[in-house]
Amino acid sequence: MKPVPTSAIEGEEILDDPTASDWLKGALRSALERDPVDALNDALLLAGALEERLRAVLDLS
Amino acid sequence: MANSDDSGSSPPRRRDFDPRRSGQLLIGRLTEHGAANYQFRAKEDASYYVKLLTSRGERILWGKDIERAIQDGETKPKVGDLVGARRVRREAVTITHRQRDGEGRIVSQEERHAHRTRWVVEKVSFFAERARLARRLRDEQADVHEAVRAAPELKSTFLSVRAAEDFAAKRIADPLDRQRFLELVKGAMAGSIHKGEPLPSVRLKDGVKRPEPAPATRSAPKREDPTR
Repeated sequence: MKPVPTSAIEGEEILDDPTASDWLKGALRSALERDPVDALNDALLLAGALEERLRAVLDLS
Repeated sequence: MANSDDSGSSPPRRRDFDPRRSGQLLIGRLTEHGAANYQFRAKEDASYYVKLLTSRGERILWGKDIERAIQDGETKPKVGDLVGARRVRREAVTITHRQRDGEGRIVSQEERHAHRTRWVVEKVSFFAERARLARRLRDEQADVHEAVRAAPELKSTFLSVRAAEDFAAKRIADPLDRQRFLELVKGAMAGSIHKGEPLPSVRLKDGVKRPEPAPATRSAPKREDPTR
């Protein structure tokens, strides 16, 4: 992906970014069709779950 | 002292990162870092901050040592990298406390003894590698020669363990006490490696041929070169 800007990233920027992963673009397209509050809540939960997985896989504590 | 985490409320369920507790690893994307007055307040002392975008939102860590941790770290993390930040220990320092008037002018100052927190801020891959090394050291069954071959950076650590074994053999008569002592030594070393503290370096014995010093001509020091 391109260098990550410090400001918030617009969804369209991600969808237009040729280096962004297909997984991310698919997840974003799907999320943009949902209620934004529900989508963000779920995204935060997902981020937390993926962080826990990272800690477990890499033995980070 | 400028070592705090200013982030706000914490959602339930998942782990809370408390930077005042040594050893916890905060993971997030490095979004910004730089020098600033503590908490971005004009009347506070100069400090250094790092902003991480974590799975719980943005977190700001403060500490003068964070600048050194980022610039002198092994992986030299950059904005955009997924990093881990960990407070590893506190060191005694003397700080100058200044009082300022309403316009920011210094009206008095005094020296105080305090503690400075030592930080490790590295790319996440660094902590994974350290966890691997710590496991190798803790592995009671590991053959030392094989372990050093697989992880040469642990050579000095294994030499330290060997020195502790020699010490225990000479000074601790009770076999159980001896075993407990060695477990404590190994545990402490493995814990230190896991946290990301610098690995001990191997000292060359006197008489060992060392590389020739560089010619007398010296290039201009880089900005990040140590000054001592």
